[in-house]
Amino acid sequence: MTNGTSASSPAGPDADVRAPGLWERLDQALERRQFILKSGWALFWLFLGGWLLSNLRYLFPNVLYEATLTFKGGRPEDFPLGVSDKLKKSHRVWVVRTEQGFYSVWARCTHLGCTPNWFEAEGRFKCPCHGSNFTSTGDVIAGPAPKPLWRCAIQLSNDGQLLIDKGRLENRPGQRDKGEFFLPYSNA
Amino acid sequence: MAATPNPMTQATQWLKKTKLWKSIFRHDFTDTPRTRLQRVFGNVFLHLHPVRIPKDAIRVTYTWGMGGISFYLFLLLVVSGILLMFYYRPTSAVAYQDIKDLTFAVTLGGFLRNLHRWAAHLMVICVILHMIRVFLTGSYKPPREYNWVVGVLLLVMTLFLSYTGYLLPWDQLALWAVTVGAQMAANSPLLGNEGPFRLPFITTTNDVRFMLVGGTTIGDATLIRFYVLHCMAVPFIFLIFLAVHFWRVRKDSFSVQTGPKVDVWPNLVSRELLAALLVTVILFVWSMLLGAPLEGEANLNVTPNPSKAPWYFLGLQELLVYFDPWIAGVVLPTLIVVGLMAIPYVDTNPKGLGRWPDLRRARLGPLPVLTTTERPFAVSVFMLGTIMWFVLIFIGEFCRGPNWEWYWPWEDWSHRRISKMTLKNLPNLWGGLLIVAYFLLGSPAPQRIKAWLAARFGPRAPERASALLHLGLGMLLAVAVFVPLVMSGDPDYPARSDTPTLFEALGRSRNAPVVQGMYGLVQSAGPAAGYAGIALLVLSAGLALGWIGIRFGRLKDRLYEELGLLKYSIVIPLFLIMVGVLGKIVLRLLFGIKYLVSIPAFDFNI
Repeated sequence: MTNGTSASSPAGPDADVRAPGLWERLDQALERRQFILKSGWALFWLFLGGWLLSNLRYLFPNVLYEATLTFKGGRPEDFPLGVSDKLKKSHRVWVVRTEQGFYSVWARCTHLGCTPNWFEAEGRFKCPCHGSNFTSTGDVIAGPAPKPLWRCAIQLSNDGQLLIDKGRLENRPGQRDKGEFFLPYSNA
Repeated sequence: MAATPNPMTQATQWLKKTKLWKSIFRHDFTDTPRTRLQRVFGNVFLHLHPVRIPKDAIRVTYTWGMGGISFYLFLLLVVSGILLMFYYRPTSAVAYQDIKDLTFAVTLGGFLRNLHRWAAHLMVICVILHMIRVFLTGSYKPPREYNWVVGVLLLVMTLFLSYTGYLLPWDQLALWAVTVGAQMAANSPLLGNEGPFRLPFITTTNDVRFMLVGGTTIGDATLIRFYVLHCMAVPFIFLIFLAVHFWRVRKDSFSVQTGPKVDVWPNLVSRELLAALLVTVILFVWSMLLGAPLEGEANLNVTPNPSKAPWYFLGLQELLVYFDPWIAGVVLPTLIVVGLMAIPYVDTNPKGLGRWPDLRRARLGPLPVLTTTERPFAVSVFMLGTIMWFVLIFIGEFCRGPNWEWYWPWEDWSHRRISKMTLKNLPNLWGGLLIVAYFLLGSPAPQRIKAWLAARFGPRAPERASALLHLGLGMLLAVAVFVPLVMSGDPDYPARSDTPTLFEALGRSRNAPVVQGMYGLVQSAGPAAGYAGIALLVLSAGLALGWIGIRFGRLKDRLYEELGLLKYSIVIPLFLIMVGVLGKIVLRLLFGIKYLVSIPAFDFNI
């Protein structure tokens, strides 16, 4: 027992009997056999809990065998002005051609992941699952979707085709209209 | 009659004396009081029954046999499911073909698939009806609280079994149901990649959705996961809970103990057999006449329009229209399940145990209502919740067409209808005020405060204070909805909206009838008369809400005295949330309001 522990006891320096230190108190609270028994149980539960938790980790695969998210979508001049459904059936994206250039919208509703449809007459994307409506820029105008549709990275590949990457996404106004998410005519 | 017995009888009698027979059957089967008991406790399958039971407990009109029928359907599903497994391979390349094979090429395959599907639907119905019966007859009251909790878990597992089951055909219904379900997981608070308050280390490759799907896109990994869950994991856990459920029914005894005791063999066993036969006949005929639906093969690039879940999830799908996915898909279902589980622990009323409630006509202000003589609050709240759920299912099934737009059941669907839906958010401050004022309605007035008020300001002071408070809150609620709709500018203008104010945007839309009406009034009657009319509308809405608040105030003060602070603060928030869901639906359908509070930075929208 060090002086430090006895000095910190509430009895004060004048007390005749020293208050029991941490180790003594532990010894009193847990008799030795009890201590070993309780440690045993603690280890048992620790092991069981650890094993169950490790199985949780087991459910997260380390290697994924999934298709690539990058693809070539044909030549820019094949896309007329406006929203093109051409690549939707095969690659789940729309290519939109504006007066300034091209951008590509991922056809996946930001609400719960259904594939919306383009309605030319209304100029809207509409989702069949919960009724979200988006403008051709991807902004939400009605329905439950909480944020705008994602734009995919779009650039020109060496053979003159549009190269679209669904792995790189952006939907913040401002950010989505520049850099790799917008392909101006000067580059096309 | 011949003196010598029939040789057949002779042979049977000899057989019954052999050691082999006696080693299997321990007692004879003549109908004596002794053998009636022996049949029950000497048989592993029947010994879960008591040997004698009060006559009123097995009255068909008391339980409608719903629990037993649910169990029988579970057995039927296990058998038909095992048979289906002989032909089904859970990989995306062949799963759909195997289902086609089962339906068209395998002898009796189509029938078994129909049977499995329809039995699953029937089981969901029976489990829900069983829960309603147990609630209405008060059979969850002490000492059966825990068994109610187990029952709620069994209901959840029944729904989860249905959900995991309908991915397996790998058709469009399967794919989109799982897409939506998995995306709800991705919207979980904290642990979902797209949820509010996402933890900093959570990404698409380690969130809840990733674990459920087994990857980032739905594919082979997902299919095998759901296959294992559906065929092994969930039934395994289900059986454990089922055993506990039955065991507790026996240990806690039946909720009815009146009437003379009768032998379970044959009185109860025969009823069980008859119920099973009846269900079998119904299901066999149903499965012979009606094929289980099978849509086109799964295709991630095309979603059927409209894309509807099976009926028992349509309530959830419809709810997802009104709330953000993390609320409608995670928080509300959790609250429903937890709220159901909490019922026996917060309901301290000992009345109404072991009988159906008596209905009685009453008046709520000017409205005639149907209520019960005992437990009126408990029964009304539970039935309101149940009816709300089925109304949502009805809307989802019959009132939703292409693009999930509103069509009346008698209207023809058109994929080219021009609807131009417009929804607007309330400004955050007004919306926040609305939510705060609404939940303040739940504030109790304890006896002590009332006594203090009465002592200080006279005997009528507590009543006046309550009236003032609730009228004030009612007016606040009305003002918080109407004023911003009329006064606020449209934050989307001019980038995404053609109109500078919310009033104009929603007034010209076709999906906000009340605002359209107000806008029309201002247009036709001129601004002065129009706005006066709107002010009158706000005033009357506020007064009506205030009046409801005062009525509710009396009820909640009584509840507070009966339940105490802890139980009160569980019951009232759950109740207010339930009614609040209804309120938000009304705000969406009648006022075109999307969010009350929206903080995009945290993906937090209500």
